[in-house]
Amino acid sequence: MMTLVTGGAKCGKSHYAEKMFENYSGRKFYIATMQPYGDEALSAIERHRKIRAGKGFETIEKYTDIEETNLPKNCGILLECTANLCANEMFRNGEIYDPTEKIILGFEHLKSCSEMLVIVTNEVGSDGISYEKSTAEYIKIMGKINAKAAETSDNVIECVYGIPVALKGRII
Amino acid sequence: MIMITGGSFQGKIKFAAEHFNINKNDILSGENCRFDNVFSAKCVSNFQYLIKRLIENKIDPVEFTQKLCRDNPKAVIIINEIGCGIIPIEKSERIWREQTGRAGCIVAEKASAVIRICCGIPTIIKGEIK
Repeated sequence: MMTLVTGGAKCGKSHYAEKMFENYSGRKFYIATMQPYGDEALSAIERHRKIRAGKGFETIEKYTDIEETNLPKNCGILLECTANLCANEMFRNGEIYDPTEKIILGFEHLKSCSEMLVIVTNEVGSDGISYEKSTAEYIKIMGKINAKAAETSDNVIECVYGIPVALKGRII
Repeated sequence: MIMITGGSFQGKIKFAAEHFNINKNDILSGENCRFDNVFSAKCVSNFQYLIKRLIENKIDPVEFTQKLCRDNPKAVIIINEIGCGIIPIEKSERIWREQTGRAGCIVAEKASAVIRICCGIPTIIKGEIK
């Protein structure tokens, strides 16, 4: 089963995604895609670590190339989050790449390894602001990735101030 | 507690007026109200701007919101959704967005009903209303 969890900043996405694994008894992995650079990233990582502590996740830091992640069969996977993964894949060596296919392949790989896959993503396209080229491109690609991931997901959940709203499938 | 959310100008106040017997004088705007009055107001609108002003006045929005939930558990809270989109470059904007998210999650958790309005159309995303 694959679930995509979306929403804006601090809307309770992670909390909800982690809660989905509360009754999951198998081996479960947390794929962290945020690169630990800068004070805010470090404090966000620290906060997420604390929230996750004692919940039985094995953490794998994978900032790019998730299609190469080594995982056992039939595990539980929580990937957080697509927004960082997409930025990490897009902006490499001062150039801009379109990582849509690569990331979708990565998701397929995770799906093939897991009984339960939860992917946290971000709604970046609805602030109505016009951005310069690279950011505009990022918004476009994030939209494409989210739409493609939603197609193959069993459930798509949007979090609104901590309340899960089912856009596809059901709330678990 | 009741929470009404959605984007700007979607009909949140109109919905509050129609369903929760709230008139203009019952509504305190987070844009310019006295902080103390929030704890006894029947309805607080623009809660996202209240959060902004709390941050500017170095008051912890999370603690303030927790106190609001304790002291004024029947309040109707109207708050815009502001967390979507690209992370702002300006640090104060980032902090505002994040603190509004956190405070909103606290209100939503305590609320018996959460209603999201889009184009004037309400969707009850938590609980039920009479």
